Amino acid sequence: MGIRNYLSRGSQTKDELVSERLCAKFGELHMVTLADMPMRRRVDVCGEIRRMSVKPRAGIPAVEVEISDGTGEITVIFSGRERIPGIGHNRGLTVSGVAHWEGKRRVMLNPIYRLLPSPGQ
Amino acid sequence: MAPTTKDNRTGFARIKRRLVGKPIANSEDAHQRLSKRVGLPIFASDAISSTAYATEEIIIVFVGAAAIGAAAFDNLVPIALMVVVLLAIVINSYRQTIFAYPHGGGTYIVSKENLGKYPSLVAGASMLVDYILTVAVAITSGTAAVIAAFSDLAPYRVQICVALVLLITFANLRGVRESAFLFAPPMYLYVFSILALIFYGLFRVYFQDLGPIDHSGAVATELLANNETLTLFFLLKAFSSGAVALTGIEALSGGVPAFRKPESKNAATTLVLLGCILGTLFLGLSILAQHLEPIRDEEGLIAQTIIAQLAEHVYGGRNFFFFATQFTTFGILLIAANTGYADFPRLASIMARDGYLPRQLANRGDRLVFSNGVIFLGLAAIGLVIAFGGITNALIPLYAVGVFTAFTLSQVGMIVRLSKMREPTWKIRVVFTSVGAFTTGGVALTVVTVKFSDGAWIPAVIVPLLILIFSSIRRHYTRVRQFLTVDDAYKAPFRTHTVVVLVGSINAGVIQAVKYAESLRPDRLLGLSIVGSDDEGAALTAEWRRHFPNLELESPVDDYRNLTEKVLTEIDRLDDEQSDDIVTVVIPEFVTSLRSQWLHNQSALAIKARLLFRPNTVVTSIPIVIP
Repeated sequence: MGIRNYLSRGSQTKDELVSERLCAKFGELHMVTLADMPMRRRVDVCGEIRRMSVKPRAGIPAVEVEISDGTGEITVIFSGRERIPGIGHNRGLTVSGVAHWEGKRRVMLNPIYRLLPSPGQ
Repeated sequence: MAPTTKDNRTGFARIKRRLVGKPIANSEDAHQRLSKRVGLPIFASDAISSTAYATEEIIIVFVGAAAIGAAAFDNLVPIALMVVVLLAIVINSYRQTIFAYPHGGGTYIVSKENLGKYPSLVAGASMLVDYILTVAVAITSGTAAVIAAFSDLAPYRVQICVALVLLITFANLRGVRESAFLFAPPMYLYVFSILALIFYGLFRVYFQDLGPIDHSGAVATELLANNETLTLFFLLKAFSSGAVALTGIEALSGGVPAFRKPESKNAATTLVLLGCILGTLFLGLSILAQHLEPIRDEEGLIAQTIIAQLAEHVYGGRNFFFFATQFTTFGILLIAANTGYADFPRLASIMARDGYLPRQLANRGDRLVFSNGVIFLGLAAIGLVIAFGGITNALIPLYAVGVFTAFTLSQVGMIVRLSKMREPTWKIRVVFTSVGAFTTGGVALTVVTVKFSDGAWIPAVIVPLLILIFSSIRRHYTRVRQFLTVDDAYKAPFRTHTVVVLVGSINAGVIQAVKYAESLRPDRLLGLSIVGSDDEGAALTAEWRRHFPNLELESPVDDYRNLTEKVLTEIDRLDDEQSDDIVTVVIPEFVTSLRSQWLHNQSALAIKARLLFRPNTVVTSIPIVIP
């Protein structure tokens, strides 16, 4: 706290504020952070859905979401599904699967997922 | 669709039609040649109008700065004679220019052809500044003439000036043809009324023993009581003040093609005629002032101009003749201001075509005038008038520097040309022109030196600054041209095309925009919607799927409602995915009436403004017309 803290808060960008909030939210779960996540190994990570993409490929639907825990992002793809109840903007979840690089993004295909309770639910 | 009729329906277009008049087609640009009798008022009004304040300027220096009191009037005529000699020299060398440049040889052109880039830029800058000052000085003097007649108006000096500048600006946007109908009567009336004043005044002085004006005011008494000795410095200062009588002579050399055949001969004759009238009026007024001793101070505490004081005294009060003199003075000064409006836009357009000024200044408006130049000139003149509080003599030192710099450059240019061409009798003409160049150069230096602190430093700063600006504008245009030139083998580079449609909600506008985006056949087409909450996102996604089952939709979350920022980061992200891509952002926009337009598209406007300078980005608005 203190005045310096207050001042530095004022000069933070909105992105920084968001990551700070997410770090606080997911830090207490004591899971591997997205920044330190190992690739090509089964891993459990968590985060909040910051982006949803509808990407039909040749008529086959897929739910594609990007989750963030404040340290980094990962794209999670559930193929063959048009929509998944409970998966929507701002929802928290943990996923368990194997991540790989796809261009500049980390992608995890069809992981096991668990919805985290939203505040107020 | 009929775009022209639609255009006329909007309010702005209607107001513009009312103020500016109906457009004139290119083909209607009739070119009428002028006779000497008509040419004289058109080109001479500026020069001759300077007699309205030249004598006054000398007196102000003598009684004000030099504080020599009543001795001022003994030195007035010698100074005036020196100015007249200078006038003869300048007229003589401009005659040479007229014969050498039958297609019009303004100072800028003469220096460009004979002296090269930088001298021509100095000339151009000085002339542009001068034309602005011509307007400001003529208007403030014209106002002074009115105030001299109606002293109740004195508190509104600046307002009157500004109103007059606006009036002339609008008149010129309409395209005041330099018609004899408008120009001839005020000039001839002025010349006539001043001649009448001089002759009747001198007649009364010599034959009816008319004595000097009796000054009763405190300011005048105080000024006359001074008796410092006249130093060389103030003598030169007075001379350089009086030299403003020469301003406006150069206008004729640029307007030679406007005369009837033989153009040069007619223009040269007109120039000589102009010199004679100018010399006579100036000298006559100075002699009359020597006898009658009118007085004026620097700050305008004495509201009466010199001419007003002379007229009141000679005609024995404020009668018809007094008011006639004041009104004709006012008339010629208005017309003199108007010549600035003819010359400034023309010079600006020539310089714009050479790449030294923004291209817009070379565009002709609806009425075939260089509208942008006219508007710029009007604004600049208003700025000057306000900054100097509508007092003429504060502006005069600024004026004189530019005029004499331009005279000098023009004549040096002529010397170079004459010695290159070596036509018969070139030697004697070089001698004449050299004398002129030396004298005017000397005057320019004198003005800068003796009036430096009075404002002559302003052109000394502004002209180099303008030259820097001219050069950098030119550099920019050259760079752009080099970048855009192509050879026959040039092929446009291949670009991956990504089209992003901004989606607020699913509505008719968005669906039309997607249809349009599909018609572009991009490599990738996606919708982008910034989502605030879970429910909103879910509803939007479901609806998108129903309408466009085969199209991508990106919906990032934004916690802070900063739509513009978020859209920009998303576009950055898309741009990052490919190295050679071009991104088209399609924004549906609602077009309603002028009354309710501001209710829409505020965010679209912000996004468009931010994307304007982004490389590889195309922004397209899809107009959704709501009747």
